[in-house]
Amino acid sequence: MYNNEINALIIIFLVALGTYGLRLSGLLLSSKIANEGKIRIFLDYLPPTLLLSFVTPAILKEGISGIIAMFLIALCMYKTKNIFASMIIGVVTIAISRNF
Amino acid sequence: MTIDNTALNNFIRGIKANIPIGLSVFAYGAVLGMICSQKGVEIYQLTLMNVFIFAGTSQFIIVDMWEDLSQIFPIVLAALLINLRYFLIGASLNSLFKNSTIKEKIIYMHLVADENWAVTIERNKHEIITPLFLFGGGVCLFSIWSFGTYTGYLFTGFISDPSLYALDFAFIAIFTALCFNLYQNKTNLIPWTFAAVVAYICEYLFGGNLYIVLGAISGSLVGVLLEKKKYVQQ
Repeated sequence: MYNNEINALIIIFLVALGTYGLRLSGLLLSSKIANEGKIRIFLDYLPPTLLLSFVTPAILKEGISGIIAMFLIALCMYKTKNIFASMIIGVVTIAISRNF
Repeated sequence: MTIDNTALNNFIRGIKANIPIGLSVFAYGAVLGMICSQKGVEIYQLTLMNVFIFAGTSQFIIVDMWEDLSQIFPIVLAALLINLRYFLIGASLNSLFKNSTIKEKIIYMHLVADENWAVTIERNKHEIITPLFLFGGGVCLFSIWSFGTYTGYLFTGFISDPSLYALDFAFIAIFTALCFNLYQNKTNLIPWTFAAVVAYICEYLFGGNLYIVLGAISGSLVGVLLEKKKYVQQ
């Protein structure tokens, strides 16, 4: 248990330090990175590919209802640009499929 | 039209401009708070994350992997990779900070999140604003976010079985929504699909948490190859 608490503190400290480092170094190095074509494309692709890598196994584990939820979320985002509404639609879809 | 551009004015305008988006930040925070309480995250640990990390998506990732805290390296790596976008977000703020001292940059950058960054970038196109607008937005979001997480944490006991209400799916839904919001054009489709397929296969084969990193890196590399090819053809 103590080990877990120490591990949690180490994780929080490292992520905090790293995240702040990313925020500040991005600003400080911005003039350099803007000229680096390939690095810029790579970094541009990281957020969506990370998010997709994270959600895909979880969505597919839900089976067909997971895929339906994904399409409804996409449709809602496309129509409303509202993340909160999209979240509700996704959650309701999965909740219905788990209860019936 | 003249705009009063004092420091206080910018700070307050920043707070006001972020209140609407704060509603979804509150809900997002409440979901995190509920998950924290289910996973046995202590309230002081949640507070430390809110104050020092202040990046919702990576907090979800840490809490999602909370069962096995011995995996320090994969957890930190996954959280920081999801936060890599802050490097670009920081880079994109170059013009806003062009008249700022290094001290101001050091102070204001910590509270930069997706939401106040997006609001600031949009506002900066048609109004003169200073980094205090961004910082005011950060203070606003930090307050709402913290309040949301504590509300979710304290009220979670009222829900007996969260999986029946699919609350565990809430952040998957938010990530999916955020991801679709990042879609630009058809060129994205192949790298995105590649990332999803690699992630699924890696998760199936190896389990653990590294599938996130592997999917993202391989998908982004495909993106670089495709965009480079397109660039050469033009």
